[in-house]
Amino acid sequence: MEWAWIAAAAPLAAFPLVALRGKWLPGRGAYISIAAIGLSFVLFWLVGADFLRRQADHFSITWFNSGGTRLALGMIIDPLSVYMLGIVSVVALGVQVYSLKYMEHEPRFSWYFAVQSLFAASMLGLVLSDNFLLLYVTWELVGLCSYLLIGFWFEKRSAAEAAKKAFVTTRIGDVGLLIGILVLFKATGSFDIGTVIQAAESGQISSGTLTVAALLLFAGAMGKSAQFPLHVWLPDAMEGPTPVSALIHAATMVVAGVYLVARAFPIFEAAPGALEVVGWLGLLTALLTATMALVMTNLKQVLAYSTISHLGFMMLALGSIGFTGGMYHLMTHAFAKALLFLGAGSIAHGTGLTDIKDMGGLWRKMPLTSTLFILGALSLAGVPPLGGFFSKDEVLAAVYHNQGPVVLGLTLVLALLSALYMARLVFVVFFGPDRSRESGVHAHESPWQMVVPLVALAYLAVTSGAAAFYLPGTGEGLGQFLFWEEGEAFHPLWWLIIASMVIVAAGFVIAWGIYQRGWRVARALEPVARLARRKYYMDDLYQWTIDRVVLVFAGMVALFDRTVVNDGGVNGSGGIVARVGKRLRYHETGRVYNYGLVMAGAIVVLGLMVTLLR
Amino acid sequence: MLSVLVLVPVLVAGLLVALPSGRLRALRSLALGAGIVELALALYVFLSYDSNLGGYQLVERYRWLDSLGVSFHLGVDGVSAPLVLLNGIVLFTGVIISWHMKPRPKDFFILFFTLASGVFGTFVALDLFFLFFFYELAVLPMYLLIGVWGSSSDFGTFIRTKEYGALKLTLVLVAGSVLVWVGLLAMYVEAGVGSFDLLDLEAAGMSVGVQRFLFPFFMLGFGVLAGLWPFHTWSPDGHVAAPTAVSMVHAGVLMKLGAYGLLRVGISLLPEGAHAWAPVLIVLGTVNVVYGAMSAMAQKDLKYVVGYSSVSHMGYVLMGLATLTVVGMDGAVLQMFSHGIMTALFFALVGIVYERAHVRDITVFEGLAKRMGLTSAFFVVAGLTSLGLPGLSGFVAEFLVFVGVFQTYPVLGVLAIIGAAITAVYILRLLGKVFFGPLNPKWEKLPDATPREGFAAAVLVATIVFVGVNPGFLMRAIDSGVQALATRL
Repeated sequence: MEWAWIAAAAPLAAFPLVALRGKWLPGRGAYISIAAIGLSFVLFWLVGADFLRRQADHFSITWFNSGGTRLALGMIIDPLSVYMLGIVSVVALGVQVYSLKYMEHEPRFSWYFAVQSLFAASMLGLVLSDNFLLLYVTWELVGLCSYLLIGFWFEKRSAAEAAKKAFVTTRIGDVGLLIGILVLFKATGSFDIGTVIQAAESGQISSGTLTVAALLLFAGAMGKSAQFPLHVWLPDAMEGPTPVSALIHAATMVVAGVYLVARAFPIFEAAPGALEVVGWLGLLTALLTATMALVMTNLKQVLAYSTISHLGFMMLALGSIGFTGGMYHLMTHAFAKALLFLGAGSIAHGTGLTDIKDMGGLWRKMPLTSTLFILGALSLAGVPPLGGFFSKDEVLAAVYHNQGPVVLGLTLVLALLSALYMARLVFVVFFGPDRSRESGVHAHESPWQMVVPLVALAYLAVTSGAAAFYLPGTGEGLGQFLFWEEGEAFHPLWWLIIASMVIVAAGFVIAWGIYQRGWRVARALEPVARLARRKYYMDDLYQWTIDRVVLVFAGMVALFDRTVVNDGGVNGSGGIVARVGKRLRYHETGRVYNYGLVMAGAIVVLGLMVTLLR
Repeated sequence: MLSVLVLVPVLVAGLLVALPSGRLRALRSLALGAGIVELALALYVFLSYDSNLGGYQLVERYRWLDSLGVSFHLGVDGVSAPLVLLNGIVLFTGVIISWHMKPRPKDFFILFFTLASGVFGTFVALDLFFLFFFYELAVLPMYLLIGVWGSSSDFGTFIRTKEYGALKLTLVLVAGSVLVWVGLLAMYVEAGVGSFDLLDLEAAGMSVGVQRFLFPFFMLGFGVLAGLWPFHTWSPDGHVAAPTAVSMVHAGVLMKLGAYGLLRVGISLLPEGAHAWAPVLIVLGTVNVVYGAMSAMAQKDLKYVVGYSSVSHMGYVLMGLATLTVVGMDGAVLQMFSHGIMTALFFALVGIVYERAHVRDITVFEGLAKRMGLTSAFFVVAGLTSLGLPGLSGFVAEFLVFVGVFQTYPVLGVLAIIGAAITAVYILRLLGKVFFGPLNPKWEKLPDATPREGFAAAVLVATIVFVGVNPGFLMRAIDSGVQALATRL
């Protein structure tokens, strides 16, 4: 367990090696990267096995000291971190193996794998870190890697813009995160998460401060996990190579926010009102973006909005005190979404198509990819017995127990929308008429290096449902494992399960009707659809704010600086001195009697002063 | 050892005077040799400083004017040792960058090394008379360095000539010096020990009233050189006019002299005055951060962007000092080092681009990364340091400043963090515009940095990464120095 840090350190060490020396390394550096993340994955098993024999623990070393405060690099080994270690390392491993073929013709191949390594290292460091300082450090590095990978094809203007947008948007959330960390430090004098949580639980921090701090932490989570209104960067993030999207959407980056809320969960529980905000904002995000997923036509964009929607769903779970449900859904979603993105990459690789309007009947052309993709889609739609079905029901149970009927009702609407947009993808892309032939494309299956990760992820997406009841090695279900001491079993509510199954079925029937049979229901909803297609004008609003408010204000500050402060203040005072000098110069007449008069007058005045002031 | 460090550059300057003008090879070898020797000496001074022992080390003292209580007293503590190292690194890279300096390379290096002596002297002087002497020695060559080797720019709506930049810089800084000198003399009289020695003055102490009266002299006098708002406009205009290496030294090291003087003389000798004026200083520092960042966002000229970003980043130094907490001042000193390296890197890279493209207007560039991969990569590192990315030196410094400010003035801490976010916006916009996107065909033929330039930039980048990953390397010294200083507060 003491050596768990190697799981993050191995890919971290691979980064400079591959970045600087990639050209001369085996596989142009890719094998080094894959070996490093492979080692992390192996370590997950060793740490997990070791952990089951022992108790949760944490270890730290001093990074540096300042003013008696020890700033540490530390890791925590507990159910949550071991769990995340597994998810992150397996998805990152799959994505890197897949990239081997997908990226092989890229001139910056080594750089790609170097950043992939740094990405994995940062995310693994994030889930292992036991203090807020290291968490913030890795958090920012995750942001950096997304910037570098989304902007991997930086010669494309759109990619450069998308990368910038992702970094800036998440950075706005990070302002909140950093302030929150500092507020908690001011209240407790510690960055250690365990210490802060103890202080929060024991009522040492006033409830007002606690709520402020929790909401500030959540602001950071909103940025990274793309929650409304900071969700705008994620759909654009598809400008990066597709395997990068798989990584960002599944195991790194976006789950960081959900993980943060889970890691700091006791703080949120102790802070009055904080979880309500988390839950409501999650629900709002989920509903809003689910409608956008329904109308977008770019395959990756649909998946992107579906990611945001599911992240909102996870936040809703956490906000409903459904810790197990939220974290469980994080896993099932991660596997399914990585599968879907890699599948989308495979489709693009095989057909060269990205827009679903051009696809159709792919099931006949690419049976394997299609089957795997459909499995992922069904899992996310919540079809039994796939993983997504169980995690969704666990969340629904939490919502039912801890929220009012309004929230439950809206959550069921969300379930319908999720099923609907996934069913839409399935019907439009894989069945129906083959529109690809019209665009002159010959679809073919992908090479085995790309198929193997797909199969592995599909296996996980299918079987992760069983984790609810039985987690290998622990002899119990996920609920008991994550909550270690006060274990929590999977709580099925039969009527709710049946209701959700009916809803999913309804979703598929409606999608089948609309996209296979040409039902005209969509016509009536066209105004709403148009609004959703325009992304509810959020992007336009932000662009307008930057162009018309921020930049204009900055221009005014700069103009003020140049004209008022400099020309007025600096040159002005210089000018006054010059003018005064010009005036005074006429007193230097060169006539002795002038000087004599002044001298005599001065002597008289000084003499008077001396005598009078004595 | 310290006297060697201080005197070698000025001796080299003397040797250069004797060197015939045409001997370019000899000139460059001498300059490079001096740069290497100074870097080695600075590194030796820093590494030999024992933080566990603390206090002033490598002390040398020679009698000079006994009747006035002036002696040539040198020594380093945990605060000055890292700054000596900073100066060594920046000078070394500055020499490399100015390899092809034209015209009159000999005269350039004479002034350059005279300035170097002044900077080293200011950092290691323990006698206020000499501290002030070296301080002036560092500032005055700037006038000629900018006035002779600088460049004038026409920005359409206004013009900034090199003569204007040089004149304004010198006059504003000299005005600050006058305040400092008046303050020093008043302190000499008020302390009543008949000595300019820092240690004597520390021991003597002054009444609260005197301290409160004198502190603004140093706050404004030294503050001007640190870019304190609203006396900062000499800095961006000076940079726009200055040649590359001068900008590097100027923003990289010279502005630190102001902050260092404020800490060493103002805060350390006038602690009561510091407590009384800290709220003013921290508010001005916050203005520096936010106002500097907003101004930088609106700039079109690469040098103005970096110049205003310096104003913004020096704000963190001022804020950290004004917290009067160990953590905050630790952060301030580390920020001095970090910003010094970062901004030297920035100016070196802007110089590389300018030398090839002959323009610095952001709007005409696009997609340079395709042609100038190395330069662009280094520029991205500098930008990421600027926006406070962890793993690079700026993060730890700013983080400590934030911690310090939150302990004292949380609201200003929030503003400072927002300032860091604004920095991210303008830096990322700049990177996206200039280096990314499709290559503007106009720049198809732009060559990348030469190995010589690349080496200089790589030294700076390596320093940034090393300090960012292993801040303890500097923090052990800084923390011990600041803690000793803080006991007086």
